[in-house]
Amino acid sequence: MTPKQMSKVDDELWSAIGDPTRRQMLDLLLADSGGTATSLGQQLPVTRQAVAKHLAVLDRVGLVNATAAGREKRYHVDAAQLAKAAAQLASVGSAWDARMQRIKQLAESMQRAQKK
Amino acid sequence: MEFATIEREVFVEASPEIVFEVVSSPEHIKGWWPDEADYEATAGATGTISFGDLSDGGHIAGFTVIDVRPPHLFSFRWTQPAGVLAVEGNSLLVTFSLSPSGHGTLVKMSETGFREMGWEVAVLEETYNDHISGWDFYMPRLAPYAAGISAKAHA
Repeated sequence: MTPKQMSKVDDELWSAIGDPTRRQMLDLLLADSGGTATSLGQQLPVTRQAVAKHLAVLDRVGLVNATAAGREKRYHVDAAQLAKAAAQLASVGSAWDARMQRIKQLAESMQRAQKK
Repeated sequence: MEFATIEREVFVEASPEIVFEVVSSPEHIKGWWPDEADYEATAGATGTISFGDLSDGGHIAGFTVIDVRPPHLFSFRWTQPAGVLAVEGNSLLVTFSLSPSGHGTLVKMSETGFREMGWEVAVLEETYNDHISGWDFYMPRLAPYAAGISAKAHA
């Protein structure tokens, strides 16, 4: 892929995972070790058609893989792609957790120094 | 959680004025984030922050002050290459909002722009984190630093 195509895919990956319904679907697929549009539709307050659309988005960015299972496709979470997404964001988030704690410590020690 | 935005908040037992100094001044920002900070805390000012030894695998990033409203708000863009104008798409926007709360200050931080920049910036942040992860590195530095501030306040 060219860099431009790559960044388009990356951008779509962010969008794909940014949607709450799709994140819920990923959770269900992980918990049940896979599922179909029908099985997901039964567990979510959206239509089977909406589920199918969301699955197509997840499929396009590689977050799920489809295998044929009778009349329906069965979807599994692509662990590697999900781990990539989660690890990068978690790492950024935990860095901010640590920074916020340092801000707190620093400001509070300055406040105590001023009161003395 | 909105995946393209990181939001954090923390309650600090210090006045908004003090917290504002800590999150905005180049002197104090070094106490909680980069190793070096070179910028003026005025809107529109550009400078740099750096991590680690630049001659030995360290990083330098552009730092542009966007909004300064003491003691309520401080925002800046970073991750653009040093010397390059910070715009949406080449940088992350970090906003600190401070509000008085009880005997202290509620500090809200948001970092946005990940979606606009794609994955690469998350990878970039991850590499920065190698230098700055966790308390193991910072705690030994924090106590002497706080003591220094305390000594200055007494002087």
